[in-house]
Amino acid sequence: MTSLSRYLTATRYALFEQARNRTALLLLLLFVPVWYYFYLLLIPSDPLPFLYRATGTLLQANGQELGFISAGLNAITLIVGFMLFASTRKNMQFDRRLTLCGFSQALLIAAKLTALVVVSAIVSLYASLVLFFYWHPSSLPLVWLGFFCSALSYGALGLLLGALVRGELEGFFLIIMISLIDTLLQNPLGNPIANQPVLRWFPSFAPMQLSVAGGFGLHMSWLYLFYSLAWPSGFALLGLLVFWWKTHARSVHIIALQQS
Amino acid sequence: MAEPLLQSQGLRKSFGRRKVLRGVTFSVYRRSLVGIVGENGAGKSTLLRILAGELQPDGGQVFRYGLMGYCPQAVNLNDALTVEQHLDYFRAAYRINDLDYANKLIEQLGYQAYRHELVGKLSGGTKQKLNLTLALMHRPQLLLLDEPYQGFDWETYQRFWGLVSDLRQRDCAVLIISHLFFEQTRFDVLYHLEQGRMQAPEANGSATETRIGTGSASTEGKE
Repeated sequence: MTSLSRYLTATRYALFEQARNRTALLLLLLFVPVWYYFYLLLIPSDPLPFLYRATGTLLQANGQELGFISAGLNAITLIVGFMLFASTRKNMQFDRRLTLCGFSQALLIAAKLTALVVVSAIVSLYASLVLFFYWHPSSLPLVWLGFFCSALSYGALGLLLGALVRGELEGFFLIIMISLIDTLLQNPLGNPIANQPVLRWFPSFAPMQLSVAGGFGLHMSWLYLFYSLAWPSGFALLGLLVFWWKTHARSVHIIALQQS
Repeated sequence: MAEPLLQSQGLRKSFGRRKVLRGVTFSVYRRSLVGIVGENGAGKSTLLRILAGELQPDGGQVFRYGLMGYCPQAVNLNDALTVEQHLDYFRAAYRINDLDYANKLIEQLGYQAYRHELVGKLSGGTKQKLNLTLALMHRPQLLLLDEPYQGFDWETYQRFWGLVSDLRQRDCAVLIISHLFFEQTRFDVLYHLEQGRMQAPEANGSATETRIGTGSASTEGKE
């Protein structure tokens, strides 16, 4: 059995597991369209100032359309964060057993990263397609790209918290609070000072910029794609380090000898 | 003299101020059936976790020879996968090519009807059967079992001992820990873990070495 086939086995089961998370699927199917619908129903289309930092342009963007992007980011971050947190936390002991039985930690980690990317891509695609029913942005793929980067950030955060936090409630609460603060503050609808420089350091800042570029037909900056990947990379690296530490076999005092 | 497949030398472990293991030394030999009994909280599971490589001791050494199978007390399974998927996953972990022996174990333990069921929907007893199968499916030479028959009905309990007998025929050494053994005569060696030390059952805590059959034990007063 090759490393590739073991990696594919671990990836297949990581994805199976995510597909069987019915609560997350239900949230995705219902929460995303309902969330957009509330914005359609309750948020006016009045123009709001939004600073698009790639070109330094101060936009007067349609508040409702800006709200759709913010709502999408908020829903995606919560759902993907929840999915990765739940699976990582629940299976920490199982993963440890696998490594004790000889499964390579590197392959398990690679499988988790693959699952993170696949789940983020699919959830973002769904949220982008549902958005299309409510509003036709200038570039749906670019809106998706922003959603995808944000999903990666919170999926990686879920992975980190799943490896680090013992209690289920504490982890969920942390994800909800971080997502709320982060995505709400990026939106001038909820935060009149949303154009403050300090917000550039928040995880949703660069994804929001990408999605706004897609939504309103602005020139996309590759630099912002790079910024968007900084948070997920940091969260994933930390999470996988903790995962590695918690699942590695304590082999210092164990010496396997050949049978005579 | 039979070869040792496991040697524990002066194992010590504390959790905060609580000293759980205070210098545990013993060996497990080929084809032997060794039991470790002790009250709840005596440190049995801690000892087995160290022997399996799951936990780092504060001091002492473990020498393990050959392939190990480990069945932890907590049923570490993935509720979102089926029995069949578990077998496939662990086949990849053990790097074995076929599931012939795993299939035989499933038949022997009598849960072949649940192969395609999600583990989350199985009863506690059936989960424990799978837990045991995963520890055995790669034909280990040394088997470490922590309360392996909890949740088993009488028939399965008997089948379990039949399985242990088969393993010993194949030269496998089996170490079982439990808070209670009903049939102590089954064991070649039976140790009592008390206050972090291995005690000989008839020694009233004063003896330092016991040997029955092919096993041996001693404790070291390191404090």
